[in-house]
Amino acid sequence: MEALVSILVGVMTASAVYLLLRSHTFPIVLGLSLLGYAVNVFLFASGGLTPDNAPLVEHGIARLPDPLPQALVLTAIVIGFGMIAFLIVLALRALRDLGGDGVDGGDAP
Amino acid sequence: MLPLIVCVPFIGAVLVPLAASRAGLRPALTAGLTAALALALLIPEMPAVYEGAALIDRHEWIPAIGLTVAFRLDGLSLLFAQLILGIGMLVVLYAHYYLSATEGGPRFYSYLLLFMGAMLGLVLSENLLQMLLFWELTSLSSFLLIGFRRREAEARQGARLALFVTGGGGLALLAAVLLIGGLAGSYELTDVLAAGETIKQDGLYPLILTLFLLGAATKSAQFPFHFWLPHAMAAPTPVSAYLHSATMVKAGIFLLGRFFPVLAGTDLWFYLVGGMGLTTLLLGAYLALFQNDLKGLLAYSTISHLGLITLLFGLGTPLGEIAAVFHIINHAVFKASLFMAAGIIDHECGSRDMRKINGLFKYMPYTAVLAMVAAGAMAGVPLLNGFLSKEMFFGETLHLQWLGDASWHWVLPWAATLAGVFAVAYSLRFIHDVFFNGEPKGLTRTPHEPPRWMKVPVEILVVLCVAVGTFPGFTVRPVLEAAAGAVLQRPLPEFSLAVWHGFNLPFAMSLVALSGGVAVYTVRRRLFAAHERLRHRLRFSGKDVAEGLLALVFELGRRLDRLLDNRSLVRYTFALLVSALAIGAAGYWGEPIGGSGPRESLDLGVLLGGLLLGAGAVATAIKHRNRFVAVLMLGLVGLMTSLFFARFSAPDLALTQLLVEIVTVILVLLAMYFLPEATPAVFSATRRARDTLLALLTGTGVAALTYAMLTRSADSISAFHLAESKPGGGGTNVVNVILVDFRSFDTLGEITVLGIAAVGILAMLTGLVLHGPRMDWLGRPWAPDRHPMVLAVVSKPLLPIALLVSAFLFLRGHNEPGGGFIAALVTGVALILQYIAQGSNTAQARFHGDALTLIGAGILLAVLTGLGSWLFGYPFLTTTFTYATLPVVGKFELASAMLFDLGVYLGVAGTVLLILAGLGDLSPRNRTA
Amino acid sequence: MSHLVLLPVLIPLVGGALLLLTGGLGTRVERTIALAATAALLPVALLLLSRAASGEILIYYLGDWPAPYGITLVVDRLSALMLTLAAVLALASLLYAVAGDDRRGRYFHPLFQMQLLGINGAFITGDLFNLFVFFEILLIASYALQLHGGGAARVRAALHLVVLNLAGSSIFLIGIGAIYAATGTLNMADLAVRVSAAQADQAGLLRAGGLLLLVVFALKAALVPLGFWLPPAYTAASAPVAALFAIMTKVGVYAILRVHGLVFGPEAGPAASLAVPWLVPVGLATIAVATLGVLACRELHRLLAHLVVLSAGTLIVALGLDSEAATSAALYYALNSTLVGGGLFLLADLIARERGEARTFLDRAQGVARPALLGTLFFVGAVGVAGLPPFAGFAAKVYILQSAVAGPAATWVFSVVLVSGLLLIVALSRAGSGIFWRIGDTPPAGERAGLLPTSSAAFLLLGTVVLMAGAGPITAFTQATASQLADRAAYVGGVMANQGVSTPASQRGDP
Repeated sequence: MEALVSILVGVMTASAVYLLLRSHTFPIVLGLSLLGYAVNVFLFASGGLTPDNAPLVEHGIARLPDPLPQALVLTAIVIGFGMIAFLIVLALRALRDLGGDGVDGGDAP
Repeated sequence: MLPLIVCVPFIGAVLVPLAASRAGLRPALTAGLTAALALALLIPEMPAVYEGAALIDRHEWIPAIGLTVAFRLDGLSLLFAQLILGIGMLVVLYAHYYLSATEGGPRFYSYLLLFMGAMLGLVLSENLLQMLLFWELTSLSSFLLIGFRRREAEARQGARLALFVTGGGGLALLAAVLLIGGLAGSYELTDVLAAGETIKQDGLYPLILTLFLLGAATKSAQFPFHFWLPHAMAAPTPVSAYLHSATMVKAGIFLLGRFFPVLAGTDLWFYLVGGMGLTTLLLGAYLALFQNDLKGLLAYSTISHLGLITLLFGLGTPLGEIAAVFHIINHAVFKASLFMAAGIIDHECGSRDMRKINGLFKYMPYTAVLAMVAAGAMAGVPLLNGFLSKEMFFGETLHLQWLGDASWHWVLPWAATLAGVFAVAYSLRFIHDVFFNGEPKGLTRTPHEPPRWMKVPVEILVVLCVAVGTFPGFTVRPVLEAAAGAVLQRPLPEFSLAVWHGFNLPFAMSLVALSGGVAVYTVRRRLFAAHERLRHRLRFSGKDVAEGLLALVFELGRRLDRLLDNRSLVRYTFALLVSALAIGAAGYWGEPIGGSGPRESLDLGVLLGGLLLGAGAVATAIKHRNRFVAVLMLGLVGLMTSLFFARFSAPDLALTQLLVEIVTVILVLLAMYFLPEATPAVFSATRRARDTLLALLTGTGVAALTYAMLTRSADSISAFHLAESKPGGGGTNVVNVILVDFRSFDTLGEITVLGIAAVGILAMLTGLVLHGPRMDWLGRPWAPDRHPMVLAVVSKPLLPIALLVSAFLFLRGHNEPGGGFIAALVTGVALILQYIAQGSNTAQARFHGDALTLIGAGILLAVLTGLGSWLFGYPFLTTTFTYATLPVVGKFELASAMLFDLGVYLGVAGTVLLILAGLGDLSPRNRTA
Repeated sequence: MSHLVLLPVLIPLVGGALLLLTGGLGTRVERTIALAATAALLPVALLLLSRAASGEILIYYLGDWPAPYGITLVVDRLSALMLTLAAVLALASLLYAVAGDDRRGRYFHPLFQMQLLGINGAFITGDLFNLFVFFEILLIASYALQLHGGGAARVRAALHLVVLNLAGSSIFLIGIGAIYAATGTLNMADLAVRVSAAQADQAGLLRAGGLLLLVVFALKAALVPLGFWLPPAYTAASAPVAALFAIMTKVGVYAILRVHGLVFGPEAGPAASLAVPWLVPVGLATIAVATLGVLACRELHRLLAHLVVLSAGTLIVALGLDSEAATSAALYYALNSTLVGGGLFLLADLIARERGEARTFLDRAQGVARPALLGTLFFVGAVGVAGLPPFAGFAAKVYILQSAVAGPAATWVFSVVLVSGLLLIVALSRAGSGIFWRIGDTPPAGERAGLLPTSSAAFLLLGTVVLMAGAGPITAFTQATASQLADRAAYVGGVMANQGVSTPASQRGDP
């Protein structure tokens, strides 16, 4: 299981990195969202993997997962959402002000 | 008293522009009085110093770096102080007549006083760091003075050149001083003088000496750094007379004298200092002869005389030091007067070109006589001060037996005599070319005697030349002894200042120099021709080198800067990722990846989900140029991620992830409506290969790190959270309790981030109008009907339901999965449906205005809830709770944390609404709708 | 437990929220609230400074949860110093802005407050993840402020800023994850304890995590090779924003000093002195590259931006020297470079306005309306930033070089710092003479700024004079700060003091 999860995080990161290195805003937005997922899973994994439970006390759950990383990831997701939303609108702004969706302005990379 | 004396000129520098009107006598008067005041304050201290005492006045300033406010008045510093203030007064008087009223008087005197103060502080410093401080200050003030005529290009260039050379020297000196201080364990001159032997013994001595000499040589225009001085002549003549003959250029010499006991007395000192002095002496004397510019001649002659003094210091013999100090005085006196005379001539003729200004004697006989006497002193004519010190110099060149090898004793006397020959020649040229030698050629105006008072400073100095030259015994001896004693730091040897020592070798050398000089001058025509040929042969001047160096440096900077930084984000990102990968790997290097922790067994569900997730991620990357497909793939990844969270015991995460996913995808789709449909392929195959490689490496790295984490375990503080969640936080959903209680401060920050993002987005959207394409991303024309009937029907009742659900999720959040954030997103999603169904304008009309208020209110509510605990004497964000029962929801507890969570709800909801409403507002089509 | 510790974040947070609510009430109200909130920060910072000066470490347990379980705010000498610096800089920038720049775009004031919230929070939090949150706050605010005033250059710069820092934040989270996995805690004091006690098995995670954090902080501090984003951004930013940004690189440096000094310090077992070997080379490289940038500039704003990078590099070198003296020198240097840097950005804007068309291009012959005043201010600023006497830059440079003399890297540090110093003199003298001396015959075309902006620029620039005059006590304080930072046990003891002491919420009755 650990190996699989590690590989998944790796694959997501790799795809994200590739997208990050493109020269237009759109793939970069995709890349950053993807990187966000990868990092969230990574951070989540820092508390270990506990299948088929929930961090609810007094529910008679035998093996409680580590709730702290979950809380951190939740915060991270929210912040990431804000950032991505900002970036998307900025990309539109750039489309207007720079006359293209290339990251360095215009259409060329 | 000493600190006050140093402060006076600085105070004056501030007063002049304030007190003085632009024109009139007042600026000069203020400046002159300032100098006079400082001098007057100095007088009471003098007797003690002539007794041989060294007055020291020390105050703490920055103990951390050993910088004290410490002044030292001994023979040497007194001598220089007298020169600085005395000549300073004369220069001020002279400048008043020299400068035209239009040339901004106050500014000039302000700079001049600034320099005076800096120079005074330099020579009076006991603390080396403080000395350094004033040293650089002289460079800066001379920069201002050389560039005084700011509109003239050569003035600006000359100023920059001087600052570059002397400033650079200053930095070398800084290094030297820091090393010396390190060895001596103190920056107080007294301690450093005592530590002389230790320093000379140390392995760093050669380095220290070199750096030190770089400082001294640049300031005193010693070869090979002499070139800046002639170009500093772009300064108004009073400045040349003051800085570039009498005072500033003597600063390097002063340094040689000051550190003589610390650094001198080694072979290295002899060869470096002596060699430098000798070269400068000869080069300067030779070049002076061939200058056609009057000031140019004086500049090179100054260089030559500075070389002479340096050489004397280099010899290291006690009498040599006395001669050096003596020549410092004499040169200052006659050279200052010569510069002033040159200034008068320039002023009267409007030219300094010796090929034009001839036969001035009959126009200004009085000035001519003064100039000729001064020039005689420069040439070393008997009964003038220059003669005496030059005699001593010749004498010193004769006994260097202490050096050991006798093979080349003869070099020095001959070289000295040769320099003397040239000195006589150029002095003769100064006299003959300017005052005789036919009639003036092509002058704009007919010259005549200058105003009465303009001559006074020259007269005073010339009188000094004669007085010292004829009665050295009681004119300079006390000054000389005190100064030389301060240099040597030990009893002076016996020496005589008589005008006539009988017919001895030095006197013979003087005669040779005089006659030789006359001879050289008579054959000058041929020499000039030869010199011209030589100049054409080797086109080379220090200035060109320096300017060329600067140009090169600037060009190099420009090139390298462009090379490193191509202004492209792609490269910046690449650098970031590579650095992170490299340094992260370097950190982990050599440690085993797999740990000893327990492993979970793999099951089919996760495997299948994982495959989907991985495939989705890869597809997003590969298919990214087809944007629609890419977005769908991304959505798939997000979906699988939330399932992953659900599978691994994080229901809250799963829900949040899912909802965020929906909102994000909708946002991206909205954006895509305006963005081009596809991403053009711009990168070469090699570039894509490079990126792929980096991607794979990074992926591997992160995967390895993940595996390392998953196979290790550390006991976490979250045990406390699990234990305290119910009793302390009043909730069974530990994640939620952490968010709204244990770490509610993070959550507060998190909604603040959302709020700021919303505000920023709103700011970006203002005035942003984009035109969507006629076709959608699959090339189909947009449906004319923008609000599908079905959706409209469905979504109307959906909104209240959704709100109800949100309320439910919100209330149970503390104990079951849910909570303010999730509830807010549900509301958001419902409203998005509305938005899609009925166009943004409805959503807009409803929320756009209030959204910001909503966000602000949300944050404030959260903050106020947190502040509530202050009333009960608890810290910010301390919670409390009680229980209540509602139908439908059942028994639930009312925690103050829920009020906080309500703030979260409002903030998040506000943000989502604002963003969607804003984006919907973009297209003009919606405007019309 | 004094609530004073909370105020540096509470004031801008409430101020910012209020500004959102009262958005409609017009400029005057907005400016009043903004100025009040910002001005209030200064006395608070000074109060904290005086408290911390005694050596006391002020702790604030949010939610009354004992460390390390809740989030803890910590104010020691270092935090108090940085808070004060930020407050001074912020006040001057805001005073400059209210003269009209705040009207060049929407929501300047709420964003400005949020920016301060992020900066101050980063300076006082004692929790690693909370540091991340505050970084995000100051980042999102800085993106929006970067855009303030609009225009292609700002949009492009902001785009680069956002993308790079989003990647940076991901790295930050990876670092935190690795460290949490190895230690199971987030509180910095607790981390210091657990890291020093960590068994060899965790070494890889700790070192990788710690170094990834270093990369993130280096990105903020604009160190080589991660600093290329800064010059275009600061060049494009509107004057008050650029001035405030002068402290942003220092936040990155602060984070290195705090996290790597405390958690990965010399006693940190398998991860001892993790960052140290990297700092001096990276710092020197940064100085070199920034110097090249300065030489390459034909425009004043960009030159100043490179100077900001250069100061960050110098700071990192000093931290890399890894001695109390060097740290103290670095802090003193930071004060000077921040104030002068900010002041010069404001001054450059004044110059640009007075020169009209010629703006701040160095190769245009065009005078300014107030040559004496602006010329003097520029001279002071240039001298202060180039490390020449008689101002604080000189003392700071001497201080740093002194602390390097004995060290192994002495030769390198001396050569790079001194040569770069000389080249700075060259570049700045060229810039100064180009703007103030090479004046054409066309009279100044632009408009003349009022008293308020001029004096706020002067206020910051004169900081270098004040710092020199008061260098004695100030360096004494930085020395005390350095030794307090070296005494990790005291910090840990202070933070963990209340373990179990505080009343567990379970025992609290309903108020």
